[in-house]
Amino acid sequence: MRKTIDNIMEIIIFVCGMLSVVFVVLIFAFLFKESFTFLKDFGIVRFIIGHFWYPTSEPPSFGIFSLIMGSVLVTTGACLIAVPIGVMTALFISEIAPKGVKDVLKSLVELMAAIPSVVIGFVGMVTIVPIVKNIFNLPTGLTAFSGAMMLAFMAIPTIVTISEDAISSVPWQYKEGALALGATKWQTIRRIVLKAAMPGIIAAIMLGIGRVIGETMAVMMITGNAAHIPHSIFEPVRTMTATIAAEMGETVREGMHYKSLFAIGFVLFVITFMVNFLADLFLGKNKNL
Amino acid sequence: MVNKIKVKQLSCYYNKKCVLKSLSINIVQNEILSVIGPANSGKTTFLRTLNRMNDLNIAYYRDGVVYLDDNNIFDMNMEKLRRRVGMLFAMPIPLPMSIYENIVYAPKLFGLIKTKSEQNDIVEQTLKDASLWDEVKDRLNFSAMKMSGGQQQRLCIARILAVNPEVILFDEPCSGLDPISTAKVEEAMIELKRKYTIVLVTNNVKQASRVSDKTAFFLMGRLIEIDKTGELFVSPKKKETEDYITGRFG
Repeated sequence: MRKTIDNIMEIIIFVCGMLSVVFVVLIFAFLFKESFTFLKDFGIVRFIIGHFWYPTSEPPSFGIFSLIMGSVLVTTGACLIAVPIGVMTALFISEIAPKGVKDVLKSLVELMAAIPSVVIGFVGMVTIVPIVKNIFNLPTGLTAFSGAMMLAFMAIPTIVTISEDAISSVPWQYKEGALALGATKWQTIRRIVLKAAMPGIIAAIMLGIGRVIGETMAVMMITGNAAHIPHSIFEPVRTMTATIAAEMGETVREGMHYKSLFAIGFVLFVITFMVNFLADLFLGKNKNL
Repeated sequence: MVNKIKVKQLSCYYNKKCVLKSLSINIVQNEILSVIGPANSGKTTFLRTLNRMNDLNIAYYRDGVVYLDDNNIFDMNMEKLRRRVGMLFAMPIPLPMSIYENIVYAPKLFGLIKTKSEQNDIVEQTLKDASLWDEVKDRLNFSAMKMSGGQQQRLCIARILAVNPEVILFDEPCSGLDPISTAKVEEAMIELKRKYTIVLVTNNVKQASRVSDKTAFFLMGRLIEIDKTGELFVSPKKKETEDYITGRFG
């Protein structure tokens, strides 16, 4: 009897474990299937490095280079803002803040993660956008910079929560050992705590980047959606995700335009896969110590 | 017989509860003083006060003075004091890096060594002093986390030696080690007293009798008796001491 229950449980756990793998493979296969004919007909190189995204012109042009640049610009900008703030907040919460402040701060940051992206987009539209317009004296505040700022807000809770866990789980003996050698608190944090928590912090950053790169609603509302190659971060851009979301409803099913959007999804998938893969490589390297 | 450390009327409290009552004790240079006593006798508090590790604990409060070479340690810069008074913990805690990096970590941090050859010298010298060199000389770049417990503990000793301290505090250094590793750590301690002054807190009464020159017996936060190790173990003057070392309580 016990044996059977054991076996059944084992099978259930195995199936659940396999499901996530199956889902990823299925999504990948589906994207590939939908975009394959398009990529073959239009040409993958022309698709990726083409500068012009005119899907409804005659003849249509499906160059997504400007969209890729839009996504890259917004994502990089968001990371540059979110990573330092996020990691330092995590350090403050776990190493420096007194007990009371720590608890309040932690729950506030976690609450931040629960704000829907539409709300963030909306708040950004009425606050950040006009501020950016006025401060930098731009024709419009709907820029990559505004988008990056709002996305940073969305990535910070993820980065803070996970890095904070990683930092708190550094054994206190490490800190004590370093302090007993005569290291100051800051030296201990920098050389020992950060070093020991690094794999966790990298994972946190990668999850944050994942959230940013896939975000659609907020960027659609704030970045201006102009499909051209940006020359600075203060110009409107259009990201890959926003393109798919904005245009999917207007396409003819199974048409060229429809399939090109799947192809964009496919490219996005490959990019996120590569980001994760690089992160894993980096983490694997650190495991030896 | 130079007194390296002089403790005068030291009292320590946690959350207003007194754990060490007006303790006065002298620690002689180049000797090993071991501190024995049952749990809650204040031994570890005493040790952790000598390099001010307890100052990190906000519930801790103290009274009295401790002189290191006639300077009050409570007036000194905490980090500088800890460089002069190193501490070895009960559990070996190598930092998460290679053997080599573990040793050069602190000297590099303090700017004590600059060239690669100075680093190599300090690694070899400290590992020899900690009786570990022969076992690890071929794998200095291996992770310190993969060594055995006894090796890790001796690595921690070498790491302390690398900042060139004057006093080394041992907090039950062998409590997690097997007898052979324990013997090696003890051997290292006896080697070390030629250059350093050592305070050893131990739950192992036999260890105290094996390695130390003087032994102090603590009970309930009070110093009951301190004497040459030979004297204290052969003819203790107080009844409590006798009861403890013969295993009747504690």
